[in-house]
Order: sequence, then C-alpha cells, then structure tokens
Amino acid sequence: MAPRRPPVLLLLAGVAVGGLAALPAVYLAITIAGEASSAADAVFERRTLEVALRTVGLVAAVTVGAIGLAVPLAWLTVRTDLPARRLWATLTTLPLVIPSYIGAYLLVSAFGPRGALQGAVEPLGIERLPSIYGFVGAWLALTLFTYPLVLIPVRGALRRLDPQLEEAARAMGRRPAEIFRTVVVPQLVPAIGGGGLLVALYTLSDFGAVSIMRFDSFTREIYIAYQASFDRTEAAALGAVLVVAMLVLLALYARLRGARAYHRAGPGTVRPMGAISLGRWRVPALAFCGVVVAIALLLPVGLLVYWSTQQLGDGLALGSVVGNAGNSLLVASLAAAIGVVGATCVAVLTVRFPSPVSALVERLGYAGYALPGIVVALSLVFFGTRVALPLYQTLAMLVFAITVHYLPLAVGPLGAALLQVPPRIEEAARGLGRRPLEVFGTVTAPLVASGGLAGAALVFLHAVKELPATLLLAPIGFETLATDIWRQTSSGFFEAAAIPALVLLLIAAPPLYLLSEKGTVTS
Amino acid sequence: MTDRHPDTPASLTIRDLRKSFADTVAVGGLDLHVEGGRLCALLGPSGCGKTTTLRLIAGLERPDAGSIELGERALTTAGTFVPPERRRIGMVFQDYALFPHYDVAGNVAYGLGRRANRGRVREVLELVGLDRVADRPVHQLSGGQQQRVALARALAPTPELILLDEPFSNLDASLRERVREDVREIIAAAGVTALFVTHDQEEALSLAERVAVLREGRVEQVGTPEEIYSRPSTPWMAAFLGEVEVLAGEARDGRVKCELGSLAVETKAEGTVEVLIRPESVAIGITGPPDATEAEVVGRRFYGHDQLVELRLPSGRKVSSRRLGFPAWHPGDRVQVWVEGPADVLPGS
Amino acid sequence: MSRHGKLLLALVLALPAVVGGACGSSEEPGSNDDPSTPGITVYSGREPELIVPAIDMYEDKVDRDVQIRFGDSATLAAQLAEEGDNSPADVFFSQDAGSLAVVDGEELLEPLPRDILERVPARFQADGGDWVGVSARSRVIAYGTDVSREELPDSPLELTGPEWEGRVGWAPTNASLQGYVTALRKVEGEDVAREWLEGMVDNDAQAYESNTPVRDAIAASEIDVGLVNHYYVAEAIAENGPDYPVRVHFPRDDLGSLVNTTGVGVLASTDDRAEALGFVRFLLTPEAQRYFAESSKEYPLIEGVEPDHSLRPLARIPSPRIDLSDLSDLQGTLDLMRDTGAL
Repeated sequence: MAPRRPPVLLLLAGVAVGGLAALPAVYLAITIAGEASSAADAVFERRTLEVALRTVGLVAAVTVGAIGLAVPLAWLTVRTDLPARRLWATLTTLPLVIPSYIGAYLLVSAFGPRGALQGAVEPLGIERLPSIYGFVGAWLALTLFTYPLVLIPVRGALRRLDPQLEEAARAMGRRPAEIFRTVVVPQLVPAIGGGGLLVALYTLSDFGAVSIMRFDSFTREIYIAYQASFDRTEAAALGAVLVVAMLVLLALYARLRGARAYHRAGPGTVRPMGAISLGRWRVPALAFCGVVVAIALLLPVGLLVYWSTQQLGDGLALGSVVGNAGNSLLVASLAAAIGVVGATCVAVLTVRFPSPVSALVERLGYAGYALPGIVVALSLVFFGTRVALPLYQTLAMLVFAITVHYLPLAVGPLGAALLQVPPRIEEAARGLGRRPLEVFGTVTAPLVASGGLAGAALVFLHAVKELPATLLLAPIGFETLATDIWRQTSSGFFEAAAIPALVLLLIAAPPLYLLSEKGTVTS
Repeated sequence: MTDRHPDTPASLTIRDLRKSFADTVAVGGLDLHVEGGRLCALLGPSGCGKTTTLRLIAGLERPDAGSIELGERALTTAGTFVPPERRRIGMVFQDYALFPHYDVAGNVAYGLGRRANRGRVREVLELVGLDRVADRPVHQLSGGQQQRVALARALAPTPELILLDEPFSNLDASLRERVREDVREIIAAAGVTALFVTHDQEEALSLAERVAVLREGRVEQVGTPEEIYSRPSTPWMAAFLGEVEVLAGEARDGRVKCELGSLAVETKAEGTVEVLIRPESVAIGITGPPDATEAEVVGRRFYGHDQLVELRLPSGRKVSSRRLGFPAWHPGDRVQVWVEGPADVLPGS
Repeated sequence: MSRHGKLLLALVLALPAVVGGACGSSEEPGSNDDPSTPGITVYSGREPELIVPAIDMYEDKVDRDVQIRFGDSATLAAQLAEEGDNSPADVFFSQDAGSLAVVDGEELLEPLPRDILERVPARFQADGGDWVGVSARSRVIAYGTDVSREELPDSPLELTGPEWEGRVGWAPTNASLQGYVTALRKVEGEDVAREWLEGMVDNDAQAYESNTPVRDAIAASEIDVGLVNHYYVAEAIAENGPDYPVRVHFPRDDLGSLVNTTGVGVLASTDDRAEALGFVRFLLTPEAQRYFAESSKEYPLIEGVEPDHSLRPLARIPSPRIDLSDLSDLQGTLDLMRDTGAL
C-alpha cells in the first residue's frame, strides 16, 4: 500500500526540526564555500588520510569492543541463572554516566606511567608498564564507557524474544551455543545495530577521551586546526569529512535494519523463558562481569570518591557545586524536553509517512550528533551572531545548541515505540470521530510515552555532561558541573574536580536507570 | 431509554469507484448499492479489492474516481471528500485494533467524544453482552470478547453504516459459528446498515442478506445468497461459488439436452449452451428415472455429514455428486445418475 | 495510565527543571555582592584563579561589574573570529601572544592609545599596537635539587643527548612549549626544530598533560629535569617552603628562556571603548601588576614594579631576536610536532 502524504503542518514541523538540527552541517558548508580549493587541499593531504584511517580503525575497534562486551553481559543478565542478576544488570549499565573525558583521565590515573597500578607493581620490579596512551588507551576509554549504549537495547530485545523459536531449535537437537549463534543472535541484530551506531557516532565525535589518551583522531585534528589557523577553512573541511563519515554509517545502518515492520497483529503476552543454567561456567561468568564492573565503574567512582573525601577534608565550598548542579539540571532537562518534542515530529514523519524528504530530515539531524561539540558550538556562534543576535549567549540559545547536538538520540527510541503502534489503531480512532491531532494526543502519544521517556533520558544523560557549547554560548557566569570540572582540570587541580564529577554521576544515574528499564535506545 | 436508532437506516450507493496503487488496479469501476438496514457481504478471492473498497468507503483512502454516498450525504465525489472522522461510519478491523491503554469501557466510550455518556456506554455493552467486564483491560479478554468490544465501540456513536473487515477470521473455527450468529443479531438489533468483507464463502452465504461478489476490482454479481449460488451470471461466478460441473448442451424450446439427460430450464437461449450443474443437484441411485444415465463410482470423499462421490459417465467424463453421508457409495459401484434440482444455462462459447 | 499516574509522571518530569531553576545560579565568580550597573564584557583565556582577584580590585574601583567569559585562549579566539562585528566582547585577555595574533589577524582589534603602549617594553606588544602585554613568563629548565648544577645544559637542544635519556619531562600539548618550538623554527630553522623534536622523542622524553605535572614529577624524582614556565616552580616554592626540591635554571641559549606574555586587546566591535581602555589601563597599574607579581609569580611589565625577589630579573634573561607575533604560526609547529611523533 503506498505511503500517504503527511499533513502539511507535520511536514513543515519535521523539516523545520531537521533544518535546525542540520545547522552545524550548513555552517560547515558555508565556511568551506568560496575556499573550496584550500578546503580540498586540507582534506586530501597525506596526513589527513592517515588520520582518517586511524580514526576509522578506532571507530571500528570501539564498536566491536562495545558489542563484544555488551552482548555476553546482556545474555548473562537476562537469560541465565547468574547469581544476583538484577544487581549485575544495574551495575553493568552504570558506566554510561561517566563522561568519556573523566573516564579517560581516571584510567590514566590508574594505569598510566605515574598511576596507581605502576606504584603498586614497582616494588615487584616492573619498572614501566606498557603505555596506556595512544590507540589502546583511547580504545579502552571509549569502549568501557559507551558499551552500555549497546547493552541496554540488547537486553530489551532479549526480554522480548519469542521462546518458541529456541524451543523448536532445541527439539531439533541443536546445542545451546549453536542455538545462541544461529537463532538468538540474528534476532538481536536490530538492537545491536542501533546501539552500535550510537557508539560509532559517539567515537567519531569524541574529543575528551582521545585528547587525554593522546590519540590522533579526526576530532583532535579539528581542534588543533581551530587552534592554529587564521581561517577556519581547514577545520571546517575536516568537519565536513566527519559529516560524510556519519552519512556513510547511517546508510550502512539503514541497510542493516531493512524495511521490517515491527507491529504485532494483536495484543499478546510473551511467555517468560526459563533461565539457562550456567553450571560450571558460573564462576568464569561472574569473573567476567566482575572485571568489567571493576574497571568501568568501581575504579572510576572509587577514585572520585577518594579524591572527594580528600577535598572535603581540605574544606571546600560546596555552595558553588549546588548552584552548578542546578544549572546542569536545568539545561539538561530543557534540552531533553524540547528534544523529545522535536524528535517526535521527525519520528512521526519518518515512520508514518516515509519519503525521501523524511529520510533526509532524519539523516541530517544526525549531523548534530556526529560532529564534535566545538563545531556545533561554533556553528551556533556563527548563526547566532548573524541571525538571532538578541538571543546570542542566552540560556535559550544554549539549550537550543545542546538540543541540536543530541536530538537524534531521542528519534531512535521514539521511532521504535511508534513502530509498535499499528496504524490501524489510529485509523480506528479517526473512524470514531476524532480529528488527527486529537488522535495523536489520545491514542498515539500515550502508547509511545515510554519511547519518549527513553529518548528524554538519553538526551538528558548526554546534555548534562556537555562542555564546549556551554563554554561558548552560556550566559556569562552561568556555570555547570561540566564547566567547573573543566576549569579545575585545565588548571591542573584534578583532585578538585572530583566532587563536581561525583555530583554529575549522581545526577545522571536516575535517567540512566529509567533508560535501562525501558530497554530501548534506538530503532 | 430513548431509541437512538436512525428512523430510516441510510443506504449506501457507490458509483464507478476506481483506485489504483502504482501499476496495480485495486478497484476498477465498482458499482454497488446497499439498502438501508441490510447486512451485505463483499465476497471475493484475495487481491480482488474488497479491503480497499472498504477503506475507500471509510475515507481512509481517496479514490481516483467515482462517488460514494451514504443516505443523503455525499461522502466522496469529484468535488467533495469528507474526512473519516466526519463520516459517521463505524469500522471493525480484522485484528480489532483495540486501544491497549484503555479498558473495555474506555474503548467503547472513545467514539462518544470527550464527555462520553455513561448510559450509552452501558447500553451498548449490554447489547453485546459485555457489561460485566467493562473495567477489564482489553488484553485480558478472549478473542471473541475482543471482537465484541470492537463491535460495541463501532456501534456506540450510532453510525449510519458499519463496516467489518474479515471480522471472523481470527477466531477459532469452533467459535465462529456462534459468534457469527451473535454478531448478526447485534447488528440487526442496532438496525444499522452493515457491510462486511470476507473471503469465506460459507460466511457470506450464511450471514448476509445480500452478497456482492468482487472480481478484480469490479462487482461480478450481486444478489441474495440463493440467487447468486443457484443462478450464477457468469462461468467464473459459477466456478467461484462452490463447485460446479459444466456440461455441453443443446437448448431448444425451454429444454436442454446434455449428457445427464434432458432438463427443463428457464432460458431463452437456443442452440449450443453450457449447462451449469451443482454437485448437490446430481442424484445417484441403484435405480433412477427413465432418462437417467449409467455411471460408475470411481472415487468418494467422506465428510461426515455429506460425501462427494466421483462418477465416470459412459463418455469417460467425470462428474461429482454431493450426497448425504449415507448410504455409502464405493468405488466400483454401478449406479444411475440424473439431475434433481436447479441447473443453470449460459450461452455457449 | 490512571489519572494519578499521569500527574505523578508530569511532576517527575518537571522536577529536574524546577529544581535546576531554583538551585541554579548565575553567580559570577568573584563578583561583588552589591548589585552594580553592568560594565564591559571580557573574554578571558586566563583561568579564574589567576585573575579574579585583580578583576575584583577593578570592580571595586569603578563600581561596575565586569562580565567575564572564561575559556581556552585558542577557542575564544576562534569564537571571536566567528562572532566578528557582532561580538558582545569588549576586551580579549589572552594567555599567550599567539591567540592575540590570531584575533589581530582577523582585524578585530583596534590600536591602543600611546599612553598605554608606552608603559610596556616594545618587545611585549604588537607591532601595530593592537595588543599589549600584561605579564610575562619565561621558559626555563626546572631541575630537581639532587641534580648537580654543572650538569645543567646551556640549551634545551642539549637534552637530546644520551646522558639525558629518560630523565627529561615536557608537555607537548602546552601552548608555551609549542611557542618555544615555533620560535625555534623561526630563528634556527625548520631542520633544527625537527632534529630536536625527533631527538627528544628518541630520547624517551616523558610527556605530561601540562606544566604542573612536569613540575610535580620532578619533585617526586620521577624525572630529573623538565621544560616548564618559570612561575610553576616559584609558586610551588612559595607554597611549600624553601625545602621544595625543585629549582629553575635559565639556559644560556636565549631561545631556551623565551619570554612569552599574556596580553590584552580591545575589540573594534566594542560599544564602550572608554571603559574597555580603562580596564586595560588598570591592568597596567602598579596595583594590578604587583598582584600578578606576587600571587602568580609572573613578571610584571611596567616600570617600577619588581618581580618576586626569587626570580631572575627580566633584564637579565637573554632576549631572543623574535617578534612575539610571529609565534602565531602555530599550524606549522603542530604539523611538525605531529610529524615527528612529539604530539
């Protein structure tokens, strides 16, 4: 059946949202235009290609690593009789609250040449540990603190699996490992793909972790280009390459997802599955979970708590922390709320009225997420000072920038939830005399509410850690926890940053919990 | 309790309705008239356009051409298109499309607007026999109950027309019979014009007062169940509804001569014709009337309440005969064959 | 969802915003409690700890608030360039001359009046007078007190020798060190710079994120010497007492003790030129200069204010033949450093 045309208002809203989310990309285009040859030079330089390859390598490695961690953890915590499953489920999800730059710094503190581990093994005669810097460090920092982006949807998918498929395979005599590989994993592909996409895009755009780990990635090139040049053409050209990379990733993901419809024919209950017994694998499984949680969660948090207590001992003013926390909360909540509204327009457009236009709107929106924060920030400096001067450096513009940066995150869960609502139901409502907008409010919205919550939680989680846009666009004097941490660490007072960092984790934890309960991250 | 039923149930008139999707013609010039208050079935094989027709009537699709009128209102014409929410047409979907976030009463009340009249809701629930489960969440109900909720929901706003899309296909076979009866009674009690779509011939023939058979987007034949069954207007119709034997025959002066004897039929045709005979009209016995033909039983399928007996005529041609389950016939039996019951004649090709 | 459920959900969702709005503040660090009329806006690449007390002094004097946006000098320079004429900033206070030169290159600064420029030696201001230095710092070789003074090299270039293997620390990402490399390239040539960088890498020089960890590492005897700015050591000594085990050595080679300056410029887009200039003037008053000398151990630039007595006087630091504005060619330096594996 051919797709219908969307109502004009919705189309306009969706295009508006997509257009606004694409502002960073537009900024890049404008900056490059007119300097096309020098831009091309910058892109096709030998070193740029080297760095590009290296970055691609990192993205691939981190994505594979995150999936490699997340899928077994998900399976262990959902489908087996692992002791204290719920506890492990929560603990393994938590590392997502730790911003990658803090995580990277903590890893260096622990495993670096002057870190705690070095101190511990020196008496044993080990002079120098293998360096944590470079590719390994960057890979570790990014994998450890983004794998929950895959873990959460895979757990959700595992919970929704139909047991009959596996029972049929068992009846045909297949062993559990084989069943896992040939029956379970293929059903998990959408969840793995969606989470993997987010991890890949995050790695592309991350700056904090790679700079601490001294890994020469694309974002670092961009940052250095900004530092070094009179004109920002080179930086913009590199940013444009990132956008292209993102589009490629999205295309791959779209191919992977296929055009499946997910709505069920009618209400049905999934029979709960029996837990698979681990037997003698219990101890190794526990060890695996334990190691991951120890390095990705206990170690960073432990270090932060340790430093915090030291700071408290030194008599630190807590008042500013409360104020900054309030600001972080405010900005993140507003960004989450507005992001969900915008994402709803895009999701409805893409799911109910698919067309080349809606696909373009969705793809462009991801530009905000794939580009490093500094590019997003500068694009809004550019547009803000030219088009919306009265709003420049106000809270409104800051929230707008952060929303643009993270809005795509909300589109995923909303789209997934929308796919679960059969269009029939909306048609039934219309047949019963309600106008389309009423139908949306009384039928569609309540049914996708959980997707909306998940989207809001995702945006909140990222917005609360945001740094570059806040530095450039916040009203003067408006400090958040992230800017406070940055300020301390750039002065070298790393320990002083521990308390705001800890407060940041505390604020980020509830939305994360909400997210993991909903079990969906993307469609 | 006021009688909220319309005094004169509205009639539905469809003229030359057309709808294509990409290169496929779903509905190609459909004409249909359903009198007010009647229960009419749209019957056809899959892909014949019946669901599309239903959606066009409901306003969920826009046709390429044609008009739809309900009662005195023009719903769809060249110049007008009334959106679905203003058509006052109730619709029951194949998978019920109940709102999972409302309970039974909430679902039924939905079409009554923001401030639903509780009395009306109760009234309708009583009509379908679900007043006692008004507070239950819909997923806790059985398939049959869910279907009745869907029906109640569609009836609550006193629509002028109610459309049902394969309403019984999701039910267990054992339930179906009873549910069909219940639904027919409910609709009759509501006094509303109803049109339902099905591919199940038995359903259409047993339930509806009028049956319209669709073929490739057009109405092939419309009439009462008996009419279309015993007097199919085309060979395709004859083949579609039930089984039919097509014999060559010679017609003269109101009688037709064919391999099964000389039959009296109502026809003005002369010369070469095709004789359409249902297996139920093929009688067999050890002895038969004078013009009976000899035949040999070559096969038999037993269905409990009836049996289908395959016979070979002297010419070598095979025909089937549907008889009651007993007496049993067996392959090898030599029997007499004749025609008892309606036969139809079509101009020969 | 029940009505109660909906209400509860709405409350939960609104809670963060409400709490945030209530708790959040726009308290400017270092602002006075008395509400005064708002004054100029400063983009500062210098950290709050280093300049807030000076700003406070200024605000007291003129009884007006100063709005400060803190950031990284280079990023702020990019932001100013993007903002162009619409920038809300009046003054750019940079951590280093390079960022000032970038902003100057975009023609966003306007020349400062002679009375300001005269207060500061010529080598610590822009050629065209678009920006002026406020305080200076010198590159030094810091060393642990258990290193013999005879060993200390005359130039950082010597640190690539085999006797220094694994004993040297530096901060390749630090703007001051990059400034040194730029100076090396300009004065001694690309080849010398390249050789030195490769030599340092081959010699297992220990890389740290910034100057502070380098100094700390020397104090902890992890390394013996390090390339830092002078005031890191001076600060530590002031804080920890004369027993602090790190000292500074000014290499005889003039580039090795390259002096760079923090600086300030007035943006052409300012709508309060008088006040902006007043602020700049204030930074060059004895009061402010004494603050920089005493609290952060930097070199004051005006006549009549002496640096901390533990520091070698500026006049005795060999002065290289380089225009600080030339240090803006960061691009080439960064390329070279990455090429050689230093970055």
